[in-house]
Amino acid sequence: MRHPSPHKPRFLEVRRPVSRRQAVLSAIAIWVLFFGIWLIASESGMVNPLLVPSPVQVFETTWNLFVDRGFIGDIGISVWRVVLAFAMASALSVPLGVMMGTFPAIEAIFAPFVSAWRYLPAPSFIPILLMWFGTGEAPKLALLFLGVVFFLITLVMDHTKTVRKELIETALTLGANRKVTVLNVVLPAVLPEIVTAMRQMLAMTWTYLVIAEIVASTTGIGAMMMRARRFLKTDEILSGIIVIGALGLLFDLLFKAAHRWLFPYLQEKR
Amino acid sequence: MSSAVLHLDEVSKTFALAKGRELTAVDKVSFEVERNSIVVLLGPSGCGKSTVLRMIAGLETPTGGAITLGETPVTGPGRDRGMVFQAYTSFDWLSVRRNVEFGMKINGVPAAERRERAEHFIRLVGLSKFLDAYPSQLSGGMRQRVAIARTLANGPELLLMDEPFGALDAETRWQMQELMIDVAEQAQTGMIIVTHDIEEAIFLADKIVFLSAHPGRVKEEIIPAFKSGGRIRSKEELVQTPGYAELERKIMRLMREEGQHE
Repeated sequence: MRHPSPHKPRFLEVRRPVSRRQAVLSAIAIWVLFFGIWLIASESGMVNPLLVPSPVQVFETTWNLFVDRGFIGDIGISVWRVVLAFAMASALSVPLGVMMGTFPAIEAIFAPFVSAWRYLPAPSFIPILLMWFGTGEAPKLALLFLGVVFFLITLVMDHTKTVRKELIETALTLGANRKVTVLNVVLPAVLPEIVTAMRQMLAMTWTYLVIAEIVASTTGIGAMMMRARRFLKTDEILSGIIVIGALGLLFDLLFKAAHRWLFPYLQEKR
Repeated sequence: MSSAVLHLDEVSKTFALAKGRELTAVDKVSFEVERNSIVVLLGPSGCGKSTVLRMIAGLETPTGGAITLGETPVTGPGRDRGMVFQAYTSFDWLSVRRNVEFGMKINGVPAAERRERAEHFIRLVGLSKFLDAYPSQLSGGMRQRVAIARTLANGPELLLMDEPFGALDAETRWQMQELMIDVAEQAQTGMIIVTHDIEEAIFLADKIVFLSAHPGRVKEEIIPAFKSGGRIRSKEELVQTPGYAELERKIMRLMREEGQHE
C-alpha cells in the first residue's frame, strides 16, 4: 500500500500533536537509552572506570554525600547565593526595565549604558572582584549579579515595550495619570512576561554560580566538585553535576507553578 | 447658547515628514456635537477621521484650530472623553466586573457605588452572566461590550469609538449596532463614531460628518432626515424605511467621487 490511509497516522507527521501517553513514553525512552549506554560502557570495561564510573556508583556516592558528608550544607550555600544574587538583580532590573520600556527619556539614559555592559563577559570581572571584595561571599554574589542584571533589564524593557498602545491610551481616556498608567496597566500587562524572563535568567544565574565556586570558593557545590577532582573522585564530580541539574529543574518547576498561580487568567483561554 | 457639547473650530493636523516636508492629514475641520446625539465620522481611508477622533480624545495635538468641550479647551486625554478602540483593550488580568470598575476606581468612586454602577452597565450591555469571567474567556463581541460598559460606567460626557465593530463578524456587528442605539438612549451620553461602513453610519447617526481624503476636509454634513428626528431600533426596519436607499446611494456617490481623486 503506497498511500497510508488517513486514519493511520505515520510516526512522523508534520506538526501533528502527540498523545500524552506517547509524550511520556518518549521522554522515558530517551533517558533509559542514555543510562543504558552509560551502564553498558562502564560495566563492560570499554572505558576507564576511573574516568567514567558506572551510574550505579554515582547514585551510591550521591546518597553517601548527602547522608555522611554533609553535602546538604554545600547545596544550601549554593542555593542561598543564587537566590540572594538573583533577588538583588531582579529588585533592580524589574523597576528599571519597566521604566525604560515605558518612558523613552529613561531608555535614552540607560540603554546605551546597559547594552555596552551586556557584551562584557561577567567572568572577566573575577580578578578585580577578588581584589575589591576579598574571598568572602561578596565577590561571588557580585559575579552572579553582574552576570544576570544587564540581560534581565534588557528583557524586561523589551517586554514592556510590547504592551499595546491601545491599553495605555484606554487608561488615559479613563482618566489615569502617569503613575496609575504604569502601576495599574503597564505593570500588570507585562508581569507574566517578566516572570517568564526571570525564569530564563535564573538558569543563567546557576551557570555563573558554578563558575564562581570553581574559581574562587571553598564552599558550595562547585567547590566540592573541584575538591573531588584533586582526589580523582569522578563519581563525586558527576554527583555534583546531577545535583546542579536537578536543582535547576526544581527551580524551573517552581517558577512555572508560580506563573500558573499568579496568572490564573492565562490558563483559561478558549 | 447652543446645546452643543463639543465644538471643533478649523482643526488641522500636519505631520512633519523627512527632509522638512509636511503632510496635512486634517485640514480646517469644523463641526459640532449636540448633547446626547450620535455623530458619525465617515469617509474613505486616508480622510483622517481617526486622527480627528484622536485629537478630540486628546491623544493627538492639533497643529491648528481649537477643540472645546463645553466651555473648556481640550488639551489632553481625560475621563470626560472615554474612548473605545477597534483592537481589544480589555485588561486581561481583571475580571469583567473589575474591568468595568477600573475607571471609577482610579477616579476615587467609593466601592459600593462602583459596584452598583458596574453591575448596571454590565447589565446594559448584556453581560450579567459573565461578571466574574476573565476577558480571555469571552468572544470578540463580548470583549467590545466590556470596553463599552467600562467607558460608560466612568460617566464620560462623550463616548468616542474608533471603528469599534470593525474586527467583528457580520452578525455580531449588527447586534452591537442595535445595542448602541439602546445604550445611547439609556446612558444619556453623546457619541462620536468613526467608521467606513455606510450602512452602519446611516443606522447609528443623528448626523453624519462626511470627510474627503488627502487632506481630510468636511465635504458635507448629512442629517438622515428619513428617520424624522428619531432613531430606528433594528437593521431590518432601517432598510425598509423610505429614504434609506436614496441616502445610501448618495453617500456611495460621495465615496466614489473621492476615489476618483486618487
